[in-house]
Amino acid sequence: MEEERVEESKVRVLIENATNSTDSEVHPRLLKAIKSVVRNSDSELRVAAQTLMDLMKFDHSQVRYLTLLVIDELFMRSKLFRSIVVEKLDQLLTLSVGFRRSMVLPEPAAVASTLRSKAIEFLEKWNDSFGIYHRKLRLGYDYLKNTLRLQFPNIQANAMRRQQERMEREIRSKEILLRKYGMLKENFSSIKEEIQSTLDEIKECLDIVHSKEDDGDMIPLDDDTTEEFRSVELRQIRLAALKGEMVHENHDNKVIFDALRELYKLMSKHMVSIQEWISVLVRVDSTDIRFRDSALREFIDLQNSLRVVKRQCEELGCNFTESANHDDEDEDFWEEGPVGATKDGGTSEKKNEDLVVVSTSNVIKSADNSKTGSGAHVGNVVKNGEVCSSNSASSLRNKLLADAPVIEWGSFLNNWDSRTDILANQRGLELQSHWGRVDYDATIPAEKIAELNVRASLYKEDQPEIQPCRAPLRKGGLCPRRDLKVCPFHGPIVPRDDEGRPLNVSSSLDETTPDLKIGSVEQLVRQAVKNVRTRDKEAAETREHDKKALKRAKLAKIREHNAGVLQDAALASTSRSSAFGENMETGGEGTGSDRNKKKTLASMLRKKVSTKDRLSRRLLGAKSSALTKRELKLNEDANYREAFPNQW
Amino acid sequence: MWKNIRDREAGKLRPNSFANRVKSDRTSSLQLSNHKDIVSPHRGSVNSLQVDLTEGRYLLSGASDASAAVFDIQRATHSEGLIAKHQCIFAVDKQHEHGHKYAISSAIWYPVDTGLFVTGSFDHHINVWDTNTTQVVVNFKLPGKVYRTAMSSLATSHMLIAAGTEDVQVRLCDISSGAFSHTLSGHRDGVMSVEWSASSEWVLITGGCDGAIRFWDIRRAGCFRVLDQSQSQLGRRPPISGWTANKLSTSKSLLASQGSNMKSRIPHKKLTNGNATKPSSTGKLPAKGSTRQRLHPGLLSGQDRAVSHYGAVTGLKVTGDGMYLLSAGSDSRLKLWDVESGCNTLVNFETIRLQTNKPLQLATSQDSSLVFAPCMATVKAFDMWTGKTSLTFSGHYEGVNCCWYNFPDQELYTGGNDRQILVWSPSQNSTELDWESTADKDNWSD
Repeated sequence: MEEERVEESKVRVLIENATNSTDSEVHPRLLKAIKSVVRNSDSELRVAAQTLMDLMKFDHSQVRYLTLLVIDELFMRSKLFRSIVVEKLDQLLTLSVGFRRSMVLPEPAAVASTLRSKAIEFLEKWNDSFGIYHRKLRLGYDYLKNTLRLQFPNIQANAMRRQQERMEREIRSKEILLRKYGMLKENFSSIKEEIQSTLDEIKECLDIVHSKEDDGDMIPLDDDTTEEFRSVELRQIRLAALKGEMVHENHDNKVIFDALRELYKLMSKHMVSIQEWISVLVRVDSTDIRFRDSALREFIDLQNSLRVVKRQCEELGCNFTESANHDDEDEDFWEEGPVGATKDGGTSEKKNEDLVVVSTSNVIKSADNSKTGSGAHVGNVVKNGEVCSSNSASSLRNKLLADAPVIEWGSFLNNWDSRTDILANQRGLELQSHWGRVDYDATIPAEKIAELNVRASLYKEDQPEIQPCRAPLRKGGLCPRRDLKVCPFHGPIVPRDDEGRPLNVSSSLDETTPDLKIGSVEQLVRQAVKNVRTRDKEAAETREHDKKALKRAKLAKIREHNAGVLQDAALASTSRSSAFGENMETGGEGTGSDRNKKKTLASMLRKKVSTKDRLSRRLLGAKSSALTKRELKLNEDANYREAFPNQW
Repeated sequence: MWKNIRDREAGKLRPNSFANRVKSDRTSSLQLSNHKDIVSPHRGSVNSLQVDLTEGRYLLSGASDASAAVFDIQRATHSEGLIAKHQCIFAVDKQHEHGHKYAISSAIWYPVDTGLFVTGSFDHHINVWDTNTTQVVVNFKLPGKVYRTAMSSLATSHMLIAAGTEDVQVRLCDISSGAFSHTLSGHRDGVMSVEWSASSEWVLITGGCDGAIRFWDIRRAGCFRVLDQSQSQLGRRPPISGWTANKLSTSKSLLASQGSNMKSRIPHKKLTNGNATKPSSTGKLPAKGSTRQRLHPGLLSGQDRAVSHYGAVTGLKVTGDGMYLLSAGSDSRLKLWDVESGCNTLVNFETIRLQTNKPLQLATSQDSSLVFAPCMATVKAFDMWTGKTSLTFSGHYEGVNCCWYNFPDQELYTGGNDRQILVWSPSQNSTELDWESTADKDNWSD
C-alpha cells in the first residue's frame, strides 16, 4: 500500500515535470519514463489520467499543450486510458479547443493557437483510429466539425483524394498512349516510307558529293604523288584517311549541300519522332504483341541507319548546325580589326582614332582579300572558304549579320527559331508537390515560347581604354598611371613615344592631315560632329561620376546614422524581461534549476514591453528607471506568487 | 441472472416480477450506445421526441429548424461495421408546401395509431399530418407561439389536442371538427407545459409561466385545482388498506401491457369518487377537502393564486399509474406532486441546473422508479422516491431539451441543442464485447 502510494506520486511527479517546461515538445526521456511506469499497472494509469485531466485545467496554455501531447501519447497506446479519457472528452475538448465562449483558452495566445490546432488534429486522428469503438469520440468530432464547423486538417481524406487523382492521371496517360499507339498502327507504313525516302535521298546526296569530291581531289593529289613518287597503297590509305575531311562545299556542289542541309534538318526531326514512337511502343501494353515487336524492331533499325547517315553527314565536315557560328566568328574577326589597331597604334590621338579605324579596317580587308585570293590551297581553314563564298555570294546576309545583335549564350538558344509547340508539364521529373491538378498534355504554343524568350538587353557602355601616362620616370621606365586627363605627377596626359617624350601636337596634326586629305568633306563633317559628341559625352560622364560620388557619400552618412539609431534601440530593448530574470537571479536566494524553469513559464505569460514603454523609460532617465525597475520587480514577484502558489 | 431464471422455472418467482427485475437491471445499466446511431437530419436544436405508443417503433422528432422527422428505431437503414445507422424514414421541413415556418416546439404521435402526428410550432400553427402521405390534414391557427401540445392516450370519447401557447388561454383543438372545442382560461401568463392525466381522459394538467399548475376537468368550466407548493406531505401516500397497498406496489412495478386492467380500474375509481367527492380515508389529506369541494366552480381567490414553482413551470410529467405528477420549473427545481391530494411530496431531487427558457420534456421509467430529467448538457436519472441521482448521461455538447424512455426496449432517447439525437441503451452483451476487445487493444510500442 505504502509502496503504491509512492509509485503514484512518482507518476504524478513525472507528469508534472514533463509538462512544466517551455519547450514545444515533451522531453522524450520523461515521456518514456511515464509510459514505462504507466504500462505496468492500471492504477497508475488511472492516476496518470486523473493528473493529466487536472493539468488540463491549468491556467496556462503551455502546460495544457504539453499535457495534451502526453495524453495523445497514452491515448494511442492504452485502451484503458482511452476509455477514461473518452468519458471526459467534452471536458478535454473544452479545455484544449476552447470552443465554449465562457471558457476561452488562457494566455499566451501563440501557444493557445497551436494548442487548438493540435487538439483538433489529435481529435481527427483519434476519431479515425478509434472512432468506431467510442461513440463519444464520434460525437465530439461530429460536433466540432458539423455544428461548430471547425476546420479539420482532413489528413486521411486528402491522402485518398491524392491517390485517386494519381490513378486518374495514370489512366488518362494510358489512354493517350493507346490513342497514339492506334495512330501509329494506322500510319505505320507511311511513316516508315517517309523516313526511308529521306534516308535514301541523303544517301544519294552523299554519294554525289563524294563522287564529285573524289574527282576534284584526285587531280592535285595525283600531282603531288607523282612528284613524290609514292606507292599506290599509301595513296589509298591517305585518301581513305582524308576522305571525310576532304569534301568541302564550293560553287559546284553548293546546291547539293543545300539539299543536304535541308535533309539533315528533316532527319533530325525524324530522329526525334522515332524516339517518341519507340517510347510509345515500349510504354504501351497492348494485346497485339506481334505488331508491337515488329514495329519496334523496324524503328530501331531505322534509327540505327539514321544515326549512321547522320554521322556520315557530320564527317563530311559540313557541320550544319554550326554554320551560323562560323559567320559570327567572321564578324568577330572583322570587329577585332579596330580594337587591335587602337591597341597597336596607341600613339595616335583619340580625336582621330575613328579615322584610323576606317583606314586600318580597309587595310585588313584588302589583306584578307588578297590572302583568300592567293591562297588557292583547298586545304585551308573552312572559315576562310566560308568567308570567300559569303563575300562573293551572300553579301546581303553579311549585311544582315552586321545588323544582327550579339546575344549572350543561354539555354534558350536551344530552341531558337523553332516552330514546334512545347509540352508545358513534361520536365522529366515526377514532381509530387504541386498545388493542384496538373494537365500533363498542356502545351505552350511556339509564339508564346518566342514571347517568353524575348531578351531584355541592357545597354553596355564600352569602357574606353584609358591611356597610361607614359611619362619617363627617374628610376627608368614609363609612368604606368592611367588617368583620364591629368596625371597628378606628370601633368596633362599627352601622347608620347616609346621613350616617353611627348609627341608634338602639331606633328600629330600633320600626321592626320594626309588622312584628312583622303577623306571627303562629308566624312570630315561627320567626324567633327562625332568628336563634339564624344567630348560632350565625356563631360557628362565626369559630371555624373561626381554626382554619384556625392550621392554615395550622402547615403553612407544616412546609413551610418541609421545604424547608430538601431543600435541604440537594440540596446534599449534588450528584453527587459531577461534583465529582470537576471535581477531576480542575483537578488533571490536559493535559485534552483527547476525554479528557473518556472520562471520561464511565468515569463511566457508576461506582457511584452511595448515601444511606448521603452520610450517613456528612456525619457524618464536613470534614477526613475531604477525606481520603476524595483517596483516592477515587486509586482512581478507578486504575480508570480499568485500564479504558482504551490511552487513558490 | 441464472438463479432468477431457475427460480422462475421453479415457480418461486412470478413471471412479471422476473421480467421487472431484468428490466430494471437493464435500465440501471443504460449508457451511450455505440451500436445504434440516429443520423439527425435536423439543423437546429431538437425540441421534442416521442416514440409511438402503439408499436414502440417509430421515433418522431421536432426541431428548431422547422423540421420534423420519423425514424425507425428497430430496423437500421444501413450499418457501418457494427454501428447501425438509423436514418430518418421521412422528414418534413420548411420546403414542404404546408410546412412550418418557424421552430417546431412539439411533435407528438396520434395516440391510437401511427397514421397521424401533430406538430406545434412557433409560427402560431398546429399541423396534423398524415404520416403516409406526409401531407397536412388539419391546421389550427392559434393566437401565439405554441409551446407544447398533448393528446390523451386514454381518450376513447374525444380527439382533442391540448395546446399550451404564449397566450394565457389553453385551447383544445378538436381534430374531428377542425375547430377549438374549449378555451380554458385561468393562467396569468403563457402556458409552457401541457399534460393529460394518465388516469382520467377528461383531466388536463397545465403548467404556466406564472408558476401555477392547474388541473382542468374538460367537462366542466374552470379549473378544479391549483397546486400549491406550500401544501406538502412527507413521502409517499400511505396505502389505503392492506391488500390494496400490496396490489398497488406490485402494480407500480408492472408493465403497461400487463397492468391494463389496473389502469382501467384507477380511472374508474377516480371518475366515481375522485372528482366529485374526496376519498374517505387519505391519511394526511388536509381537512379542507370539503371546502374545496364546495368551492369548485370558482376557486377561492387565495387558492387561485397559489404557485407551485417560483418562475415558470417548464415541464410536466404524469407517472405511468397516474398517481403522481412531476414538474420542472425555471427555479431549477424538480417537484413530485401527489395528484390525489394535490400536495408537494417534498422529495428533494438533486438537480443542479435546469434550462429555464425552453419547455423541457421529462421521462419516467415504466415502473415509475426513475425520472429522467435534462439538466443542461446532461440528462440525469433520479430515483423517484428519494431524489438521489442514480445515473448521469453526459454526451451532448449543448443543452438537452427532451428525453424519451422507450419501455419495450429499455432505451432512452435524448435530443439537445447540438442537433443530435442520442440513443442510450443497456450495456452490450458479451459477444459484442468480445468483438470490441479483439479489435481495440493496447498497443505499447515501447
